[in-house]
Amino acid sequence: MLCERCEQEVASVHVTKIINNQKTEAHFCQKCAKEVGGFGFGIEIPNIFSSFFEQPKIWGTTAHKVSSCPTCNLSVDDFRRINQLGCSDCYQTFRTDIHPLLRRLHGASRHVGKVPLKSHAKTRIERQVQQLRDQLQQAIDVENYEEAARLRDEIRALESRLQNMEVDE
Amino acid sequence: MFLGDTLDKNLSSWMKKEGPEGDIVLGTRVRLARNFAKIPFPGVANKEQAKKVLDNCTKLDEVLSGLGKFTFYKMAEVDSLERQLLVEKHLISPAHTEATAYKGLLLSESEDISIMINEEDHLRIQVLYPGFQIEEAWRLADRIDDLIEAKQEYAFDNALGYLTSCPTNVGTGMRASVMVHLPALAKLNQLSQVLNSVTQFGLVVRGLYGEGSESYGNIFQISNQVSLGHTEEDIVELLAKITAQIIASERQARQFLIQSEQRLASEDSVCRSYGILAHARKIGTKEAMELLSNVRLGIDLGILKNLDKKILKELMVCIRAAHLQKIMGQSLPPEERDRLRASLIRERLQSASA
Repeated sequence: MLCERCEQEVASVHVTKIINNQKTEAHFCQKCAKEVGGFGFGIEIPNIFSSFFEQPKIWGTTAHKVSSCPTCNLSVDDFRRINQLGCSDCYQTFRTDIHPLLRRLHGASRHVGKVPLKSHAKTRIERQVQQLRDQLQQAIDVENYEEAARLRDEIRALESRLQNMEVDE
Repeated sequence: MFLGDTLDKNLSSWMKKEGPEGDIVLGTRVRLARNFAKIPFPGVANKEQAKKVLDNCTKLDEVLSGLGKFTFYKMAEVDSLERQLLVEKHLISPAHTEATAYKGLLLSESEDISIMINEEDHLRIQVLYPGFQIEEAWRLADRIDDLIEAKQEYAFDNALGYLTSCPTNVGTGMRASVMVHLPALAKLNQLSQVLNSVTQFGLVVRGLYGEGSESYGNIFQISNQVSLGHTEEDIVELLAKITAQIIASERQARQFLIQSEQRLASEDSVCRSYGILAHARKIGTKEAMELLSNVRLGIDLGILKNLDKKILKELMVCIRAAHLQKIMGQSLPPEERDRLRASLIRERLQSASA
């Protein structure tokens, strides 16, 4: 079947639209489909992950000083072949390879999620404080001073906990 | 005959229960990849290190005792048919059935929690719920994670988060997924468009049995692609939002199928599928899945009455090779399986339409 718009290329995009119970079909080639657009099928959510598709870096172009991990002996070649790491220290050893790879895979290179409750209690509180500060700023922006006061007290309480932890250390 | 009890005993709770939005979302899964600090990952660990990890985990059932009863298995002591059954029920990965020395599994009684030990990572904590329950599944996985971490330190980096064997899982170590049944979108040729738009939000679509598996019976798994740079809550929220959109699209398509002009064609197609399943004498997995998908659609549309909704989820697992062999108590050549599969389906349809 040929594209019904340019009538030159093979139609590979098939659109069935149902509007007011009327079913219409349309057939386009890839190129025309892109130009015509509007096949979102009602899915309209801001593309918050758009950053994934930026900066597709080709990894492995950096010069390597380290050829294998001192902790587990995994070599750079092994890592590139199996795409797996041998131990926690590999993340440090092969960082010149891994950081661009992480950007390419995740569009990010910093963890912002969960922090272990017990072993990293301090980091956990620090992140919480940061989140609360962001919320505080938002509350101030919308002139919600009651909420802002509550957040400020919460931040103070966490900060004093942090100080106590440092004293303990 | 051989049905009833044997079958029922083999079902996990996610398969038996319907769950929220259960007519479209068959199940929800959240898995967390975790490694213990200072021990090489399973791919590189030597025998002593691998054994240490496995031994460390034999007491995990006590750590998690507040969450229910658990059974610990050494994969090397589970026979190959039983291992295959676990794969078919989505409780372990296919990789976990190979090179089983030092591999382990901790399974909750209702099979809603499964923890693989020494798979690609030291721990793969998995929660499986029926229906659309992403947030609930994440909350339970989070709790399991806290309980384990209270006893044993994890490999964690302030900048990179939870460190995993494969860089695709680093950060949260989380993969949240929903298993969706989209027969109406498939009938209206809308599937590829809907699924393609899903990938633009950083989500991945896979077949029934995850990575690299084919999709059978219009059942797909949708999950997050990235694990780094977003909080667990953000990932859960994104998947929930997109899933809600997919549910709405599928419902819209289903609505269209039962409107007056379409109704006869839909009824015809559903009833023909039912007719084949009710009378076939031999049938392969793929054909059976496609027909079952259509029959389940018929139930959801109210075309087929007095049939049990569970049949799709139940049969999609029970007609698999290992389950058939388990029911018969012996290994079967493929042509025998086709015969047994047809007879199992016939019998189930009869008992379900009592």
